[in-house]
Amino acid sequence: MKNERKTTFLLITIPILALFVCFNTIPLIRGVIYSFTNFKGFGSYDWIGFRNYIDLFTDARVGKSYLFTFKLAVVTTIVVNVISLILALALNSKIRAKSFFRGAYFLPNILGALVVGYIFNYFFTYILPAVGAMIGSDSLSKSILSNPSSAWLGIMVVCSWQAVAMNTIIYISGLQTVPEDVYEAGGLDGATGWKQFRYLTFPLIIPFFSINMVLSVKNFLMVFDQIMALTKGGPAQSTESISYLIYNNGMSGGQFGFQSANAVIFFIVIVTVSVAQMKFTGKKEEQL
Amino acid sequence: MKGKAVRHFGIALCCIAAASIQGCAASGDNGKTKIEIVQYKPEAASYFAMVEEKFNAEHDDIQLKISSPNDAMTILRTRFIREDYPDIIGIGGDINYSYFVDAEILADVSDYPGLQNIKQAYRDIDEALELVPTEGTYAVPYVANAAGVLYNRDMFEQHGWEIPQNWTELQTLCTQIQSEGIQPFYFGFKDTWTCLAPWNAMAVSLAPADVTKQVNRGETNFAKEYREVSEKYLSLLQYGLEDPFAYSYNDACTAFARGEAAMYPIGSYAIPQILSVNPELNIDSFVMPANDDAAKNTLNSGIDLQFCVTADCKNKEAAYKVLDFLLAEENLQQYIDAQIAIPCKEGNFTLSPMLDGMNQHIAEGRMTDYQDHYYPSEMAVDAQIQTFLIQKDIDAFLKKFDTDWLRYNRDIIRMVQDYEKSQGN
Amino acid sequence: MKEGMMNKKTNWTAMVVLILGLSAIAFPLYMTIIIAFKQPAEMTNSVSGILSLPKTWSLDNFKEAMRVTDFWNSLKNSLLITLLTVALSIIIHSLMGYALGRNKSHSKFYSFVYLFIVSGMFVPFAILMMPLAKQTAELGLANWFGVIILYVVFYMPMNIMLYSGYLVNIPMALEEAAKVDGASTWRTYWKIIFPIMRPMHATVAVLTALAVWNDVMTPLVIMAGSDQNTLPLAQLNFQTQFGTNYNLAFASYLLSLVPILIFYIICQKQILNGVVNGAVK
Repeated sequence: MKNERKTTFLLITIPILALFVCFNTIPLIRGVIYSFTNFKGFGSYDWIGFRNYIDLFTDARVGKSYLFTFKLAVVTTIVVNVISLILALALNSKIRAKSFFRGAYFLPNILGALVVGYIFNYFFTYILPAVGAMIGSDSLSKSILSNPSSAWLGIMVVCSWQAVAMNTIIYISGLQTVPEDVYEAGGLDGATGWKQFRYLTFPLIIPFFSINMVLSVKNFLMVFDQIMALTKGGPAQSTESISYLIYNNGMSGGQFGFQSANAVIFFIVIVTVSVAQMKFTGKKEEQL
Repeated sequence: MKGKAVRHFGIALCCIAAASIQGCAASGDNGKTKIEIVQYKPEAASYFAMVEEKFNAEHDDIQLKISSPNDAMTILRTRFIREDYPDIIGIGGDINYSYFVDAEILADVSDYPGLQNIKQAYRDIDEALELVPTEGTYAVPYVANAAGVLYNRDMFEQHGWEIPQNWTELQTLCTQIQSEGIQPFYFGFKDTWTCLAPWNAMAVSLAPADVTKQVNRGETNFAKEYREVSEKYLSLLQYGLEDPFAYSYNDACTAFARGEAAMYPIGSYAIPQILSVNPELNIDSFVMPANDDAAKNTLNSGIDLQFCVTADCKNKEAAYKVLDFLLAEENLQQYIDAQIAIPCKEGNFTLSPMLDGMNQHIAEGRMTDYQDHYYPSEMAVDAQIQTFLIQKDIDAFLKKFDTDWLRYNRDIIRMVQDYEKSQGN
Repeated sequence: MKEGMMNKKTNWTAMVVLILGLSAIAFPLYMTIIIAFKQPAEMTNSVSGILSLPKTWSLDNFKEAMRVTDFWNSLKNSLLITLLTVALSIIIHSLMGYALGRNKSHSKFYSFVYLFIVSGMFVPFAILMMPLAKQTAELGLANWFGVIILYVVFYMPMNIMLYSGYLVNIPMALEEAAKVDGASTWRTYWKIIFPIMRPMHATVAVLTALAVWNDVMTPLVIMAGSDQNTLPLAQLNFQTQFGTNYNLAFASYLLSLVPILIFYIICQKQILNGVVNGAVK
């Protein structure tokens, strides 16, 4: 009996793992190999040892992009998870027109980057400054995207606007796993509102909280589409994310080898951050 | 141990699966020579569809296929890495072309008779784009574009303004326009690449045409050669909007189309977008008068589209037939009309009236290639210029330009110096 | 228990929050719709100009957008790729999620495999792009089928996380009961676990479909040179460096939004219906 179970699991795991290795691990290894060359993306190349990696640590532009990306990722992750938790709770409670609301809040996630980019560009360039001028706010009456110190806020807003939908869906499906009788029992003990959430609901959806945190941090650390749609790295190179550099200079530019090295380091960084995160939330799960 | 065995097993499995799929792929063949073109200007897709159809109707020995994909450079690179080369590629005369020549992807077409009819100025540009001089010719220039200043012709006539011939006249004109309560220039600096348009247009008249090559040979530096351009560029800003970095290329096109500014320093390539907003707008253009000596002002013009036969092309003769067809006067004229382009071929072509102000320079061949065609894209000179225009610090900008140049061009500089040595210099 | 839920009063606090939040969605949507109906000559840089209604409500932009993108063909390709990817993902990822989720807490091997696959999520696509382009071509997979295989691999990490996260709340007792009846693990999975995970299937379906539906890079790189277009690939037509027809583009994006929205609404019902504890009891 026990053996049958073991064999079944192995027979499931091995072919799927093989597929994964074939189309993820092997190309990754090939990519890592390029990071030791001065390959442009075509033509011949030379082996240059660790030059790319040494360059990476002395490149101010790369350093700046790491700072920007982490700042953006941390703030956006917090904003998105707070909003989507509230939305998920609201959408999961007894409300009218439930399907309508769920559909509506899903929309931002499906609008293409071109549309989102155009509309928010318009919003930040013309509408927000007009509102700012109306209420007499100096800082708001100029486009926030044209100022190197505030452009990241615009990107934060758009990233959050788009990402909330996905995190909400995951929270909603997490809330489905909370048995109704937990609330009934809690209701008897007088747990309502915040208390009910803090001590009853939240502990039960921690696996989903941790998935959302990992996915958010990952998505925002790898932010690319929103940058392309809104600022293309400007103004004054203040919003160049790591993925933006890797893609633009590696794929479109002639720095394929160098940016492969950047991607390798970046990969290691995200894995480290995420494993730490999972360990942390894993501990929380056990505590509760 | 276990993990390793698993991996080997997996790879084997993948390969078997893949092989079985590959077996199914079969293709029909009708005995015709197939020529495939991939060209990078999707905006001209309908023109090329027309060419394809017309060509195939007239030739029964060659089957021509032209694709005009979006993001063609990514597609080309992808196909190069797969070693799946189209027969002919249509690309711009920029640093990608230089890289492709260097990577020996392109075939020598110096035996192509049609080359004789291509204007010398453009053939020289292609020669200059080669990282180190080579024996052969690797591209057939097709059309060029030009960048200077677009202006609202009706507005100029109404106010009696004249086209400026030198830098002082330009400044006087701008002050004049401003005093009449009109916006002289509109900039779309939110899109960093638009920062390059005035830069190129001024640099051709103020810096040596081969400044990048001189720097690569270690003969000069940008701090010296680009100082005047930088200073003049900064002084242009006062004639634009207060916060030009808030507005995109598209905003600027729309604003200019709606008559919100008298002039727009951008290339001829922007005209279709402007006309889409206001088809009635009467546009003309003039050469950016960056120099005080009008005789030294040259038109910023580069190869917008050229055709290169790949080294992998099996049937060069058929490829040449296709090139002949593309270069046939009536076809080329159609392209020029549709895209407001400048032909690279000698001959009696009718240019768009929107290039009237540049006609003399074009006719006399007083043209110089875009400086940015020599900049590696990963150096992001456009973004550096935008940063400079925001921070307005000429020294810091030029210093960074010089250090970054050496960093991003390290391999090229070494190649150039090796070449110089081998030539005994 | 269901009765109890039905009898609860409408949560008005939640309603107020949701209605207020709706403005953040309604406004961009309003802009998208009116721009999709306008002509390029109606585009301005003034706030009142952009917010005003189009002069005429004509469907010409939509017709033209459908022509430019070869809508029905591109739609067919997009649907094919999306639906097959979703179906394969649900089968493969739920199985893998089950195998890993049930074993990773007590087996070093499975917990390693879990971390190994999940970490695959963090590989920047840019580094995989060129090697994958080469590899898929070598394997004869430079077509829509290759794209599907890649998607199944790309979304495996996220979906496995989701499935094994969901399994935490599904008691082992269910499986043990089935085992007592003599059912094999394989059978137990399909008879009991797979149906219970329905809300998660719906979630995975939505998230995967969404990511696939909007993706440009994978088909661009893998299917380069083939004549097949997906909708997002065809929509690149509206955008060139020197000119973008926003009106046509917006019309086209609105069109391509409809199928995925319908798909989402269908799946959403599944997420709702599958209240787990009902099954557990």
